[in-house]
Amino acid sequence: MNESLQNLNGAIQLVLPEAVLLASVCLIFFAAPFLVSERGEAPVGLRHRWGWLSLLTLLVAGWIGWNATEMPHTSGPFVADGLTLFVRGLTLATGAVLVLLHWNQADDARSGESHACLLAILAGVNLVAAANDLVGLFVALELISIPTYLFLLLPRRDAPAQEATLKYFLLSIFSSAIVLFGMSYLYGATGTTNLMAIHQGFASGGNLPHNPLVAVATVMLIAGLGFRLTAVPFHFYAPDVFQGAQPSAAAMLSFVPKVAGFVALLRLLVPAAAGETTLQSWMMIPSAVNVLWWLAVATMFTGNLMALMQTDVRRLLAFSSVSHAGYMMVGLVVGMQGSQQVSGISALLYYLAVYGVMTLGAFAILIAAARSNRRIESLDDLAGLSRTKPAMALVLSVFLFSLTGLPPTAGFLGKFNLFFAAWSQGTESSRLLACLLGVNAALGAWYYLRMIGVMYLRDPVDRSDDVRPLEIPSLVAAAGCLLGTVGLFFAPSGLWTHIQSLVR
Amino acid sequence: MFDWLKPNDVLWLIPAAPLLACLWIVVVGHVVRRQYAHRPVVVAIAISTALSYHLLLNVVPTGFVERDHGAHAETAAAHEHAEHVDSDTPADAEHPDVPEAHTHAADASGPTAISTTLYEWIRIGSEASPTLSIPVKLRADAMTALMLVMVTTVSLLVAVFASGYMKGDPGYPRFFASIALFVFSMCMLVLAGNFLLMFVFWEAVGLCSYLLIGFWFKKPSAAAAAKKAFVVNRIGDFGFILGVFLIWVTFDTLDFDVLFANPLAIRAIVSQQPEIFTFICMLLFVGAIGKSAQFPLHVWLPDAMEGPTPVSALIHAATMVTAGVYLVARCTPFFILAPKAQMFVAGIGAVTALIAAITALTQYDLKRVLAYSTVSQLGYMFMALGAAGAGTNLATLAVTFAMFHMFTHAFFKAVLFLSAGSVMHSMGDVIDMRRFSGLRSVLPITHITFLAGALALAGFPLLSGFWSKDEILSIVFEATKGTQLHSIKVMFPFTNYHWVIEFTTGTYYTLILGVGLLASLMTAFYTFRAYFMTFWGEQKFPEEAGHHPHDAPPAMAIPLLILGVAALIVGGIAGPTHLYGNYLAQTPGLPAGDHLQPNMLMMGISSVLAILGIGLAYVCYVATPAIARDMKSSMSPLHAFSQSGLMLDYLYLRFVVLPLRLLAQIAEFFDRWVIDVIVDCFGFVPGLFGAILRPIHSGYVQNYAMVMLIGLVVCLVSVLRVLAGTL
Repeated sequence: MNESLQNLNGAIQLVLPEAVLLASVCLIFFAAPFLVSERGEAPVGLRHRWGWLSLLTLLVAGWIGWNATEMPHTSGPFVADGLTLFVRGLTLATGAVLVLLHWNQADDARSGESHACLLAILAGVNLVAAANDLVGLFVALELISIPTYLFLLLPRRDAPAQEATLKYFLLSIFSSAIVLFGMSYLYGATGTTNLMAIHQGFASGGNLPHNPLVAVATVMLIAGLGFRLTAVPFHFYAPDVFQGAQPSAAAMLSFVPKVAGFVALLRLLVPAAAGETTLQSWMMIPSAVNVLWWLAVATMFTGNLMALMQTDVRRLLAFSSVSHAGYMMVGLVVGMQGSQQVSGISALLYYLAVYGVMTLGAFAILIAAARSNRRIESLDDLAGLSRTKPAMALVLSVFLFSLTGLPPTAGFLGKFNLFFAAWSQGTESSRLLACLLGVNAALGAWYYLRMIGVMYLRDPVDRSDDVRPLEIPSLVAAAGCLLGTVGLFFAPSGLWTHIQSLVR
Repeated sequence: MFDWLKPNDVLWLIPAAPLLACLWIVVVGHVVRRQYAHRPVVVAIAISTALSYHLLLNVVPTGFVERDHGAHAETAAAHEHAEHVDSDTPADAEHPDVPEAHTHAADASGPTAISTTLYEWIRIGSEASPTLSIPVKLRADAMTALMLVMVTTVSLLVAVFASGYMKGDPGYPRFFASIALFVFSMCMLVLAGNFLLMFVFWEAVGLCSYLLIGFWFKKPSAAAAAKKAFVVNRIGDFGFILGVFLIWVTFDTLDFDVLFANPLAIRAIVSQQPEIFTFICMLLFVGAIGKSAQFPLHVWLPDAMEGPTPVSALIHAATMVTAGVYLVARCTPFFILAPKAQMFVAGIGAVTALIAAITALTQYDLKRVLAYSTVSQLGYMFMALGAAGAGTNLATLAVTFAMFHMFTHAFFKAVLFLSAGSVMHSMGDVIDMRRFSGLRSVLPITHITFLAGALALAGFPLLSGFWSKDEILSIVFEATKGTQLHSIKVMFPFTNYHWVIEFTTGTYYTLILGVGLLASLMTAFYTFRAYFMTFWGEQKFPEEAGHHPHDAPPAMAIPLLILGVAALIVGGIAGPTHLYGNYLAQTPGLPAGDHLQPNMLMMGISSVLAILGIGLAYVCYVATPAIARDMKSSMSPLHAFSQSGLMLDYLYLRFVVLPLRLLAQIAEFFDRWVIDVIVDCFGFVPGLFGAILRPIHSGYVQNYAMVMLIGLVVCLVSVLRVLAGTL
């Protein structure tokens, strides 16, 4: 009895920052209803308190996470290896940006719950990274999904938001079922739900990698998690939901599920050789490489080609996020087999961080540049932004340049690393993949630069005076993202050496 | 310790001061206090000037004392100096004020150079032994110090002059920013410690020249002149960079200290590839031809007079155009190994001197006369540099005399241009000499300064130009004693017939000497033709001048007077006393040479020619102006030929520009109707695919789920098929 208590205590120690986040979630859920009258009216400015509370929570979680030590070898439900800590840092940092973006997006009455949902989602992502057990992993994934439904619906309850939420809800459940199906096959093939034990089963040789059950499980996991990555053909919800949901929710959806999906794939599609830590010898089951290759190519092309056709900025960014998922999947296909300097996984992790700052930055500007009477929806709403709000136009251009992959922005280094990893793997298929990545980067330039062109070369459509006060939280978030986007180009070595130490 | 009095500690400040002034104007001075934009520039150049004199006095340990070649005392002194510099190195490292200051003395056995590495610009390979390393290294020796003194002094005076001349121009801050940028670039060009850095600033001065020629860019002729200067210079620069590549391929380094202070390595290469230096020197000389406006690339310089007159004085007469002379002088250790290249240099110099002098005879634009005279005088300098082709023992003297003529020329040509500017200023920007005359009494100061410059340029006895030109003629005279036999084989294409021209070095240089003497007669004539046409005769003003033309204000007059005095006496002070020569001989890499006794024959002939030229001009343009008119009408084809610059511009237009333009039109047609159409097709394809993909994004959630399911099944089937294959 005492021993199991100790085990539980040890396990909680590993996920203390997540415990903090969840405690805060409970607190908000408990307290928020009491602060809202029965008719749904809340004191003016209540949302600021929820915002500060969320930031404080993230800060405390970050502080605890900063002092945490790596514990890669456990048999318990959680691990805390380098990847866990990396993902935790990434989610907490981008989580702060998301809190800032969401600050004024929900009205006072619903702000509390929606902030709590955001914190829960962030905790879920961290738990995915920390999970050492199939069941724990699945629960963590659901801890992301279920608050997401609420998060989509809470800030807005009009018909498009309802439609978007419903679509997301149905398709998300569908994908969760597929993931669960895959996990059950994995369990069937290995006889255990402990990920460490599953890895050891693969590492000890034998026929496990060639087991048909494992192959089926792999495909199911890729397909189910592909929904979160917005991998084609599991991406369909993205444009509709981005269009219907509040911009802050769209920003969250463009980034956070991708982190969860990629980390879950890194944890699940595992290794064939014994290693010190799980990532060091990460290698995909051979039969799945082809599937992933085709998915990556389809995702890149569909995302970019569809984005070309869009006139709605939100749909355009949705397809852009699809295409970026495709780029990152290139890293997954290459796996650990890149060059000495750049492996596919390290390129993927670097790109993940870069993608986070640049896409959230773009959303931050879209939120901040909204007019008093209407949000930024179509490309026409961006027309002439350089004249009405020159600083914002400039900053958004930086993010768009980064999304295109042009220097001097971090997006360039991110794409370059992926390209370099794929090219230096040296096989014909990986070099073809690298070339297709290049072609897609060029396709992407088309619509990103078109957005910049619209901002700088066209006249503003609506010339009426705008009396909306400055959207300060979003501007702060944009400034932070700008710092990241430019900083990760000029001084990438801190993050890069950290990632290298994870995977090597 | 950082020591303000030690030259290598302050070396970086010489270019840094004007650069900071330039940045200051661009950022701040462009907006506030626009009419005072000249102040930071003048102050910065004054700092550079002071430091240059400081450098001049300290860079060479023995100063202006004659250098005794091979004597042990000298070597020991140099050793001491080297140790002295070395002992300071650790102290420098402690003190971070100078960024990464590394000082060391090169070539301890001969004259020394000081250097400071500011920053490693390019490094390929390991840190210890890089394959290619291009540091931003400032290096100064005797030649550098003399160049710097000349550049900064003239720049300072011209900047002061320009503060009056450019007053009221809407681009006033822009002008001074460009001037500061130019002074920075020119100092860096002179201080550069390796060929690549030199090339970079070679281009940078070209850029400044472009900016300043096209200063009044709204005037089509100015824009065209700027473009012409830039494009013509590109041709020369192409040769220069090829030369730099060849040096790199041959030596694996571009560092001056390593290249010039190492005769053994050079000799080893000569024994392997005897002709390599001829190629290197010819390519470097192509660069010099472009920058220093030598035939056939001199056509840009007269057009460059479209720029403001202070620019003409500073960049297109005194400093930038002498960069080619500096380059050839700097590369003397290479050129002495390539006598053929040197003879070529002398030949080009002579041809240029002659052509430009002929052209200058008939120009009516005062500034164009001076421009052609600049071209002609630069030709003289190259003539001197090439004279060493007759024997290595002449090399040091050749360099000395060329550099000395450059030195005196800088002063008297600057004063001539500035005086012309002063004339232009009072005549309402009219510069055609047919439209004004008799300005003696109206512009007394300008008249005096112009006369001083003209006398010096004409080589009037005992004035600056006399000493320096006489030295050039006497070194060419020395060269006529060469006896080596040369032959040129002229092949006629498609036939077996060929024609061998045989001549000795002596004959060749005799020819050049003849050209030099003829050109010196013409120099005196055209200079005083311009002088008499402008300042003598009946008083006449163009209507642009208004009723009361006024002489130069103090800001213009003071630099004019200083330069005028300098033009008269600087040659006499530094030339016959051997001050300049002895100092320059301390440059590392210059071979030992003997002294040249003053050549009384040449002195006599050139004095006679100068006075004869002045007299002829007086007769033709003052005493009996009818002579000039008659000559013009009786020899009108020749007159037209001379006035058009020997029709070179026309020939270029016909045989270079028009064919290239035709080619450009063909290329444009191809680009628009072939390349563009192909690109448009490529652009069409993604849209097509997008249109195909679009319908499946229908918005119906059941469709989405269906497609997801199909995707899953396809994936599963493909994996299982692969698996079935392997089992």
